[in-house]
Amino acid sequence: MRLSSILATTATAALIAGPLAAEVKFGALYPFSGQLALLGEESARGVELAVEEVNANGGVQGEEVVLVRGDAVDNNQAIGEARRLISRENVVAILGTYSSSRSIAASQVAELSGIPYFELGAVADEVTGRDLQYLFRTNPTAEDMGRMSIQMIVDRIAPVIGKDPSEVRVGVIHEDSSYGTSVAGHQERFGEEAGLEIVTVQGYPASTVDMSSLVLDLQGREVDVVMQTSYQNDSVLFLQQANEAGFKPSAIIGGGGGYSMVPTAEAVGTDVIEGVFDVDFTQYTVDPSYAPGMEDFVATYREKYGEEPRSGHSLNNYVGAMAIFGALDEADGFEPDTILAAVEAVDIPEGETAAGYGVKFGDQNQNERAKMMGMQWQDGRLVTVYPEEAATSEMKIGE
Amino acid sequence: MQTFLQIIANGLMLGGLFAIVAVGLTLIFGIVKVVNFAHGEFLMVGMYATYLLTTGLGVHPYATAIAVVPILFVLGALTQRFLIQPLMNARDEHIQIFATVGLSTALINLALLLFGADIANTPNYQLRSQVEIGPVRLLQGQLWVFLAAILLVTGLQLFLKRTNIGRAIRATAQNRAAARLMGINDRFVYILTFGIGAACVGLGSALIAPLYPSSPTIGTYFVLIAFVVVVLGGLGSIPGAFFGALLIGLVDALSGFYIGSDLREAVVFGIFLVILILKPSGLFGTRMSLSHVSP
Repeated sequence: MRLSSILATTATAALIAGPLAAEVKFGALYPFSGQLALLGEESARGVELAVEEVNANGGVQGEEVVLVRGDAVDNNQAIGEARRLISRENVVAILGTYSSSRSIAASQVAELSGIPYFELGAVADEVTGRDLQYLFRTNPTAEDMGRMSIQMIVDRIAPVIGKDPSEVRVGVIHEDSSYGTSVAGHQERFGEEAGLEIVTVQGYPASTVDMSSLVLDLQGREVDVVMQTSYQNDSVLFLQQANEAGFKPSAIIGGGGGYSMVPTAEAVGTDVIEGVFDVDFTQYTVDPSYAPGMEDFVATYREKYGEEPRSGHSLNNYVGAMAIFGALDEADGFEPDTILAAVEAVDIPEGETAAGYGVKFGDQNQNERAKMMGMQWQDGRLVTVYPEEAATSEMKIGE
Repeated sequence: MQTFLQIIANGLMLGGLFAIVAVGLTLIFGIVKVVNFAHGEFLMVGMYATYLLTTGLGVHPYATAIAVVPILFVLGALTQRFLIQPLMNARDEHIQIFATVGLSTALINLALLLFGADIANTPNYQLRSQVEIGPVRLLQGQLWVFLAAILLVTGLQLFLKRTNIGRAIRATAQNRAAARLMGINDRFVYILTFGIGAACVGLGSALIAPLYPSSPTIGTYFVLIAFVVVVLGGLGSIPGAFFGALLIGLVDALSGFYIGSDLREAVVFGIFLVILILKPSGLFGTRMSLSHVSP
């Protein structure tokens, strides 16, 4: 890893060595190998594209940005690689990390060293809930996911099925690790605040091989809307078994993970997943006028990597990185406190980034303008249907 | 009432699924006395083989069993010959367990390298279509799994009881030294048994692949329950594994509905512990099985 990262860095540097004189190093800490490698790599591509764009436009404060990769294959290695980036590579800040647990581990190291740490993709609440001074997060969180799914029910689904929110019977199911549990907790809380009738909240292990009892239970409770926060296998399993049991709630709203991926749709069949909702990071079927720069991003991505983006992770990391680099360009120098002051001043309104949401850091250095999008599977494609200003297609309910 | 019957039916089908995965494990455990932690990964390898053959040749997934079963047999036999056998005389036999843990991790990572973390869908050839039996609805594929589990258990039992090779296998399990004195090639028996155990899960994977998408970690989904089933049924008892699997399947389905999916595992493992406390040798294990006399 180490050798390859050095080679990669040198290669990148050699390719884009131009008129820029000095170099400034940033760490890119992602899981590049192991279980999470696919989406870790996808996330890092967003940062790489941001760096290329920034360098092509004169760099940051006239200096060329150089990315040094760190492989956060597990929590321990995330810590080790964060140390290496900080003390051996002398990076001025670290960008990462896709995985919440890696982010939580590695950001402790950065905090102790007084090096800014920018989280662009991990969703767990705990990432920004720890009073860290040097950690900033640009992406939406588990709480935003919970909030968005409830808004969709209250705002759009309830009126269409002709029920007052207080009559809408909601079943919340979730895989029982900290990810699913925290999203489900927010859904329950926001749901109760909105006056929805939450009839059941049930966890299950993500490695389950049978959800038929859970389906029968939801069926018996006459649930109108099912919300599931899940990984891929359990998303597939639930959708298949619900379909096979003839369980057709007015709406199924998935949360991230498996629900956003094309292989999930292929596994369950496009006819079965038709109409299923999904709340996740901004994907690519979003109104381009709401997400200016998104189409250019996709074009550059295609050109560089020779394929379509595999998920919205690259886009969201790109947006976060661009906001950070943009802020640093205004500053003078790369001292940690200068960087802090620069990013604290960031104020990008909604509708002006390639992911649609704005950037302004609030409480706990969390981007308070970060937002998830409401999407729906229509004709085998995942299209954005909520909020209206981002939507590319009409929401379809009860057809 | 209809819901209750449906839950019972779902539980039995789930039990059949557990059984077909656990049978090979209990065979290896009972005869070779190795706790094979790579058993789930054998299943994963089999499922990917089924996926590749089905999509590559465009044949029915069940037809791939003709190739997948021998492939897994060879994988199992090689594991015994080149991984377990050299460790047979190690100072501590637990080293074999760690070797299988290592094999498991290596196979998962190899699959990640070859196939990535994404899921691979084996075409299901209508095996996910429904069959109505009286008041309950089941999947065609589930029924085949259940039927295959019964045939496999019966077949293995007959093989071990009625054939000469089967007798040699049992003799080796009961007393390796005595079996050797009787002219049985114990090393060959172990290689053969490990191969058969892996071949069983090979058959299972051809049947399971159309029902579940393959992924590098799919084996870990099944293997924990498979261990529970094996211990519950009585280590090394093949009918025990079958009925243990049905019991666990039923408990899983019933508790998932009546108690809640959060507590399902707590109930399954709670019952498992209670049975072990009351009958430490498992449901079908004899109190002091002969197979525990040797090495």
